[in-house]
Amino acid sequence: MSGLRCLATVLREVAVSNRIRELQCILQLLFYLPDKLPLAGDYGTKDYTLTAKSSDLCAEVEEREMKRDLEKVRNIGISAHIDSGKTTLTERILYYTQRIHAIHEVRGKDGVGATMDSMELEKERGITIQSAATFCNWKGHDINIIDTPGHVDFTVEVERALRVLDGAILILCSVGGVQSQSITVDRQMTRYNVPRIAFINKCDRTGANPYRVTQQLRDKLNLNAVMLQIPIGLENDMEGVVDLVTMKAVYFDGEQGDKVRYEEIPDHLKDEAEEKREELLDAVSMFSDELMEAMLEEQEIPEEMIHAAIRKGTLSLELAPVMLGSAYKNKGVQPLLDAVNAYLPCPLDVENIALDLDNDEAEVKVSNDPNDKLVALAFKLEDGRYGQLTYIRTYQGVIRKGDTIVNTRTGKKLKVGRLVRLHADEMEEIEEAGSGDIVALFGVDCASGDTFCGDGLNWSMSSMHVPAPVISLAIRPVDNKAQGNMSKALNRFTKEDPTFKTYVDHETNETIISGMGELHLEVYIERMKREYNAEVEIGAPQVAYRETITNRAEFNYTHKKQTGGSGQFGRVGGYMEPLEEGEYEFVDEIVGGVIPREYIPSCDKGFQASMKKGTLIGAPITGVRVVINDGSFHAVDSSDMAFQQAAKGAFREGYAKASPVIMEPIMKVAVEGPSEFQGAVMGSLNQRRGMIVGTFEEGNYTVVEAEMPLSEMFGYSTTLRSLTQGKAEFTMEFSSYKQVPKSVADELIKAYQAEKSEG
Amino acid sequence: MGYEPLVNQNPLRVLNLGRGNKQLGLVMARAGLGKTALLVQIALDSILRGNRVIHVSIGESIDKTRAWYDDILQFILQDHSVSRPHELIDMVARHRMIMTFKEDAFSRPRLEERLNDLILQDIFRPNCLVVDGFDFESADRATVEDIKEFLESMSLQAWFSATRHRNDDRVSPAGVPAPCHEVDDLFDTVILIKPEKDATIELEIIRNNGVAADAEAGAGLKLDPSTMMIKEG
Repeated sequence: MSGLRCLATVLREVAVSNRIRELQCILQLLFYLPDKLPLAGDYGTKDYTLTAKSSDLCAEVEEREMKRDLEKVRNIGISAHIDSGKTTLTERILYYTQRIHAIHEVRGKDGVGATMDSMELEKERGITIQSAATFCNWKGHDINIIDTPGHVDFTVEVERALRVLDGAILILCSVGGVQSQSITVDRQMTRYNVPRIAFINKCDRTGANPYRVTQQLRDKLNLNAVMLQIPIGLENDMEGVVDLVTMKAVYFDGEQGDKVRYEEIPDHLKDEAEEKREELLDAVSMFSDELMEAMLEEQEIPEEMIHAAIRKGTLSLELAPVMLGSAYKNKGVQPLLDAVNAYLPCPLDVENIALDLDNDEAEVKVSNDPNDKLVALAFKLEDGRYGQLTYIRTYQGVIRKGDTIVNTRTGKKLKVGRLVRLHADEMEEIEEAGSGDIVALFGVDCASGDTFCGDGLNWSMSSMHVPAPVISLAIRPVDNKAQGNMSKALNRFTKEDPTFKTYVDHETNETIISGMGELHLEVYIERMKREYNAEVEIGAPQVAYRETITNRAEFNYTHKKQTGGSGQFGRVGGYMEPLEEGEYEFVDEIVGGVIPREYIPSCDKGFQASMKKGTLIGAPITGVRVVINDGSFHAVDSSDMAFQQAAKGAFREGYAKASPVIMEPIMKVAVEGPSEFQGAVMGSLNQRRGMIVGTFEEGNYTVVEAEMPLSEMFGYSTTLRSLTQGKAEFTMEFSSYKQVPKSVADELIKAYQAEKSEG
Repeated sequence: MGYEPLVNQNPLRVLNLGRGNKQLGLVMARAGLGKTALLVQIALDSILRGNRVIHVSIGESIDKTRAWYDDILQFILQDHSVSRPHELIDMVARHRMIMTFKEDAFSRPRLEERLNDLILQDIFRPNCLVVDGFDFESADRATVEDIKEFLESMSLQAWFSATRHRNDDRVSPAGVPAPCHEVDDLFDTVILIKPEKDATIELEIIRNNGVAADAEAGAGLKLDPSTMMIKEG
């Protein structure tokens, strides 16, 4: 604010001395307005006699500063394969936009680490786990960057980040190209309709081939990838890029590449540039009739027309502009930022849907209008030095310090305390945030995914798809101190991450944590140790098995007890059958009141209680429809308890006859690497009970896709590494639950029985 | 296996796709007329007869190829009542493997290496091979002969697809059009997919298991233009 106040003083001076032209210039600078600032237009409603009302003008300036122009807001993500240089690129962006004043490398020699990797663990592993949001400004556009994690085990993080993004930069390594991780991430972006610009990074590395990567974008990701630039030299000789829109060579001078120099295209690249420009124009002419006409008439094509066409294509997701560079060598980052401003959507370009909770979750479009009531989504929580920090994205309305807002999940009213804009570890306090912005709140109690609304509105941003956890682990604190810290940590993690769950197993008294993969849980255990000083011992990872039935079976069970005192009586008859979709369904077909109305819910409760633990291996039961159509009661001895017990007995009886089976999580696994190892890879998958779905081969590189039982994937990364000299890698995501083969089921049952008799 | 009714009702039975048959088949059509759909139906019929099929897809992705199977299987399940559809879907998945190659990555040595990988490690032993997207235009007779010889040595039944081009009128003496007019004698069965004026798609069986079919033998087989499912009459 102090800078603004200083400016306001200057303004006042200028205004007082009635130097209108100077005032115009200052305003222009202040708002980065491109050409003319029509004083009469913008401020015309009030008659500014500059001498007298300069203070009004200053007030107006402050107000306008706050009402940030929505068209100049970009909420973008940077998403990519691990190690393709995402954090380095973010770091460069922050440097060029002057948010930071020195550049640190990811695995920095200076021991400081890149600014976005604020978590210690991330620094150590050189990977980015959490998506910190950060803010910067490039040529008058406010850019909020969400740094998204690159490992597939954190897909909920990625997906949640994607949800609040309007656009994204997809980074690819010019050597590694489109790897399976990029495919996963790209699929997620398509799911959330996120327009993207591809940035082919690391063009300075040996073996760099951006042309091949562009072709891969077309083949593997089905993107209509079009190069907007061609490289001037590759590998060690990379000097800069040729911009095919302006037809200028762009060089990056200075130690940190700060000085962008535009030159004529070098002679040896002229032909190629012409040819690629033709390709570019051909591709983008689809999106602009004007441009098409201009091309047909062989007129000079204005730059703006090309920019507009590229933008249109990008927003419709039918075009993916491809930019090049090397973030590490400080090349190509500024043009990429220009492209973000030029082609990626502003909040107004994106349609976001909320659910009206008062109106049967009917879909409503959020308006983006700052004058409407507030709708904001908490998409990320972080435990900072000063308590819980909640990242929010506003979809309409304005959030101000001191406002009262409602958390629509809990219905609780909250007061907005501190409001901050974030840059990784540093923060800037602000008074208010407009629609479409990404900011953070302090000291607000909520869970990730909650929606905040202004008073009177009861909307929820559509719920995000949250998969059920597939793997669990018992943890035991090593001492009393760790015990307390552990529960604090778990409490935090479950709020932050909906796929991370925790509970206490009452039989073993162990604390169980569950999540989406080995690494997912590992990271939380590490964080417990580092951030909460909670040292824990861990048990062997357990796969989340389930049980289900495969046949219809009848039951008819009488619960009767008459051992002194008031007796218990209830009889429940009916059948159970497999339910293809859903976990449990209760159907009441009782006629003639053979079970009184008030005891029907008791039966339901009894059945549901039985579903928690199957008889085969004690795993939860899913996919059962229970229908009751018969029963009897006793005027005195029947009670809620009696019918719950009867239902439990009935379930046991039916379940045993309904051919119960054990189900296990099946993962979709993709292994990629050099073709020479394909045989070995397939062999290793086959040995682990995998079903190989298919293979893809291109040149010397293959991908093997398989469906694998999760229980067989423990330690696979080590096996794969030794099989392929570390040249292959794999990704894994949950696919479905499938019945385990008989031999495996027998073993599981045996182990369960043994455990039970021991316990 | 319990899927005999599906096999017996299938109009493809005229092709006799049983396990013992080691024929080399060819499906020809212009682009977009249902070559892949027909190949997938041939593959599915083979699977239902208890065979294991490798679907080689040149220039297509695994996902797209799998989507073909899913779609056609759905049509089959709509038309025929199957007591446990999930078991059928699962069975098909276990008896099928998809191999996709980039256009320039497919060659006989590559294929041989891949099949050997699978067979020697006992991962998957195919009885039938379906090859979609093989480029007959740039393949000479020797290449095709080489592949045929390899398939015979592996005692595999195999089906190829080939794309006809509108402005290429060359035809072999047996009536097989370009680009296969010079290699058509290598195939035991040749099927031509032909659009008719009344917006139906006819299948013309030029040769069936080595026997030049007379006009009536194959007549009556059609593809439903909306679903690309094969139909009788």
